[in-house]
Amino acid sequence: MSANEGLKAKHVATAGPRVSWSKGTIFLLAVLAVAVLGIGIQAASDATLFAQITLNGLTLAGLYFIVASGFTLIFGLMRVVNMAHGSFYMLGGIIAFLVQERMLKPDPTSFDLPTATFGSFVLPLVIATFSVALLGLIIQQVFLRWNQGQELRQALITIAISIIVADQAVARFGGIAKEISVPIERSIELPIVGNYGTMRLVMLLVAVVVGLLLLGLITRTRFGMIVRAGVDDRQMVTALGIDIQKVFAVAFLLGAFLAGLAGVLGGSVNSVNKADDGKFLLISLVIVIVGGMGSLTGAAIGALLLGLIDSYSDVYLPDAITNYGVLLTFFLLVFVLAVRPYGLFGRPG
Amino acid sequence: MSTDKRRWKWLSAAFLAILIGVVAAACGGSDSETTTAAEDTAAADTAAADTAAAEDTAAAAGGETKIVMGFLSNCEGPFGPFWDATLAGYYTALVQYAGATPVDPADPKAGVTGAMVPGTDVPIELNTNYGCSDDKADKALAEAKRLVEQEGVNVLIGPLSGDEGIAVANYALTQPDVTFLNGISGAQDTTLKVQAPNFYRFFSDGAQWTAGLGAYAYNVLGWRTAVTIGDDYSFPYTQTAGFVSEFCSLGGTIEERIWPALGETDYSSYIAKLPKDVDGFFLDVGGTGTVQFVNQYTEVNGEDSLQGKVMGGAFISNPQIIAELGNKVKGVVAGSALPSDATTPEWEAYVAAIEAAFPDQTANAANIFLAGYYNNTVAAIKGLEAVAGNIDDAAAYHAALNGTEIETGVGPVTIDGNRNAVMDNFVVEVTDTGTKTLFVVPAVDQSFGGAFSTETPNPDRENPECVAGNPPPWAASITG
Repeated sequence: MSANEGLKAKHVATAGPRVSWSKGTIFLLAVLAVAVLGIGIQAASDATLFAQITLNGLTLAGLYFIVASGFTLIFGLMRVVNMAHGSFYMLGGIIAFLVQERMLKPDPTSFDLPTATFGSFVLPLVIATFSVALLGLIIQQVFLRWNQGQELRQALITIAISIIVADQAVARFGGIAKEISVPIERSIELPIVGNYGTMRLVMLLVAVVVGLLLLGLITRTRFGMIVRAGVDDRQMVTALGIDIQKVFAVAFLLGAFLAGLAGVLGGSVNSVNKADDGKFLLISLVIVIVGGMGSLTGAAIGALLLGLIDSYSDVYLPDAITNYGVLLTFFLLVFVLAVRPYGLFGRPG
Repeated sequence: MSTDKRRWKWLSAAFLAILIGVVAAACGGSDSETTTAAEDTAAADTAAADTAAAEDTAAAAGGETKIVMGFLSNCEGPFGPFWDATLAGYYTALVQYAGATPVDPADPKAGVTGAMVPGTDVPIELNTNYGCSDDKADKALAEAKRLVEQEGVNVLIGPLSGDEGIAVANYALTQPDVTFLNGISGAQDTTLKVQAPNFYRFFSDGAQWTAGLGAYAYNVLGWRTAVTIGDDYSFPYTQTAGFVSEFCSLGGTIEERIWPALGETDYSSYIAKLPKDVDGFFLDVGGTGTVQFVNQYTEVNGEDSLQGKVMGGAFISNPQIIAELGNKVKGVVAGSALPSDATTPEWEAYVAAIEAAFPDQTANAANIFLAGYYNNTVAAIKGLEAVAGNIDDAAAYHAALNGTEIETGVGPVTIDGNRNAVMDNFVVEVTDTGTKTLFVVPAVDQSFGGAFSTETPNPDRENPECVAGNPPPWAASITG
C-alpha cells in the first residue's frame, strides 16, 4: 500500500464515523421527537398522572445517580469494572435493616409493625454506609490493589465476591423483601401531584446534595484535581510523583459508601430485596456507558434518562407491551454508543 | 522477574489463607437456625448413603427399575424465599407416608433417610442433587433434564412456578417412562392444554384458587367495574382468568389489565396509572413483589387503603407475605386453596404431620408452596404403594396414579381427566391473626364451571374476554 493509499484509507476511516454520527443523530432526534410528542399528548390528557410519573422518574433517577456516581468514579479513575458494586448496594440495605430490627425488636406475633424513630433510622443508616465503605476499602486493598492494570482479573475477582455475597445474603437474610422503617410521615400532599411518598422526595434531595458535594469535591479540591487528571491519564499522574494508590483507595471507599447509602435509601422506599445486586449493577453499567466513564455530569444525565424511561414506559406503553419497557433502556444504550462511543460526556482515556 | 514471582507466591498464599479463613468462618458461624451449604451437602450425602445402603439390603420386591425420586423447586428468583417451605412439604410427605426420618428436624434442607414404599421393603432413593430453578422456564427445563437424564430420576416432584410447569409438562411428553408430579406451579395450560399423560397435578391451578372471588366482588362488595394488575407471565394470567371469567359472567366489566414485568421492584408508576374511578382491583403481583407493591400503594393511598378496594390472588394471603406487611393487608379478601383457620380433623392431622417432621415449619401449613409439594409427593407415594414399588411398567404406575385419592389438609383430593386436582376453594380475609375463611366453594374443577376447556384460548394478557352470562354454578349462592 502506498503512502497515498494509506492516507486515503485514513480519511475513509475518519470519515466513516462522522457520517454515522450525523445519520445517527438525525435518527436519534427523530425518535426523541416522536417520544416527546407522544408523551406530550398523553400529558395533556392527564396532567396529574404525568406529574406523578415524572416525579417517580426523577426520584428513581436520584437513587440511580447515587449508586452510579460511585461506580463511575471507580470505573473512570481506576478502570476497574467493579462487578460487586450491586452487592455493596444490597449489603447497605440488608445491614441497615438488620441493625434497625435489633433496635426496634418487632413482635413477630403482632400485626402492628414498629415505626422507626429518628435515631433508629439514622443510626442503622450510618452503620450500614460506613460498614459498606470499609468493606469496599478492604476489598480494594486485599484483592484489587495488587492486580492494578489487569482489568479482566479484577473483574473476575469482583464477580466472585458478588456471587459469595449474594449466596450468603440468601442463606442468612432470606429472600422476602423487607422494608426499612422511616421516622417521617409516609406521604405528603403536593400541588398537582396529590399524595406522594415523602421518602422518595428525601431520596431525590439526598441525590442532589450528593451530586453537589461530589461536584465540589471533584472541581474544587486537590483530591478532585488528581481524580480528574487520573481519569484522563493515570500514567502521567503517577509520573508526576502523586501516590495514585492512595487516591484509588479513597475513590473505592467513596464509591462503596455511596452504593451503601443508596442501598439504605432504596430499602426504605422500595424495600430491601436480595435480588437488587444484579439489578443495580446493570443499571450502574448502563448509566456509566451512556454518561461516559468517570463523568459525574454523565452519570446524572444517564440516571435521569434511565429513571424517566423506566417511569414513562410503565405507563405510556400500551398495556400489552409494558413488559418490554426494559428494552427501551437498551435502545438508549445502542443509540448513545452509535453516536458517542465514549458515552455522552466521556473522553478516550 | 524473580521479585515478581516471589510477590505472587506470597500473594497467592495470603489469598489462600483468607479464603480458608472465610470458609472456616462461614462453617463455624452456623447456628441452630441456619446451616451452611457444606453441612447441607454433608447431611445430604449421609442421607444418600443411608438410602443406598437400604437399597442394597432390600430385596427387589418391587421391579427391576429402582425408584429414584427427584425434587425441583426455586432456590433463587422471586420465589426463592419459598425453597425451604417446598422442601418441607416434599419431605413431610415422605416422613408421614414412606416411613422416612428427618436428618435434622430444624432444617428441611438436611433431608430424610430410610424412605420405603409403604407395605413393601422397596426403597425410594431420594436424589439430593436438588433441581434449583429461578422462576425461568429455561432454567427449570434444564434442571428437569439434568435430573432425569443425568441423575436417573424417574419420579420427579416439581416445579414451582407457572411457565416452568408448562415447560416441564412439555418435556414430560418426551419422557413417557418418567413420572412427573407438579410441585406448586399453577398455570392452567400445564395440564389443560399440554396434556402430557405422565404429568400430574394433585393440587388446583391458579384459576381454581380464585373461585368465589368474582361473585364476592360483584354480589357482596357491589363492584361493577374492576382493574386487574399482575406479573406478566402464565400464572398471573391464569389467576386473573379465573377472576375475570367469574366477575364478568355476572355482569361486571374489566376496565384495564395491567401487566408489570416479573421482577419489577418500583411499582410507583403502575400505581399512579391505576384508574381511580373503578370499584376495585384484582391484585396478583407475586412473590417478593407483593411486599413492594403493597408498601408503595399504601404509602400514597393510606395505611388501610387496600381494604374493600383490592382482592388478591395466592400471594397476598401467604403467611410469609402477611408477616412482612402487617396491618397494611388487614381486611383484604383473597382466594386460597388452603384455610389457615380450619379446625377440621383433616387439617389438624396435616398440621400434626408437619409438626412431627419439621416443627419450625408448622407456621407454613397454610402456605401453598408447602402444601402443593406435600400433596403431590403424597400422591407419588400412594401410587407407588398401589403398584407395590414396581415401576417397570410406567403405564401401570400412571394408571394407579389416575385412580389415586389422597388425604390432605382439606380432605380427600382426586384428579380429573386432565390429571389436575378437583379441590375445594376458600375465600379468606386477612385478619390480625392470619386469615379467616369467609366461605368455601366446594369441589372446584379446572373447567371452572364450564368456562375453560381445551378449546378456549390460553389465558394471556387479553384472554379470557370479559363476557356476561353463564356464571359458574357456585356464583348464585355467594350473597351478602
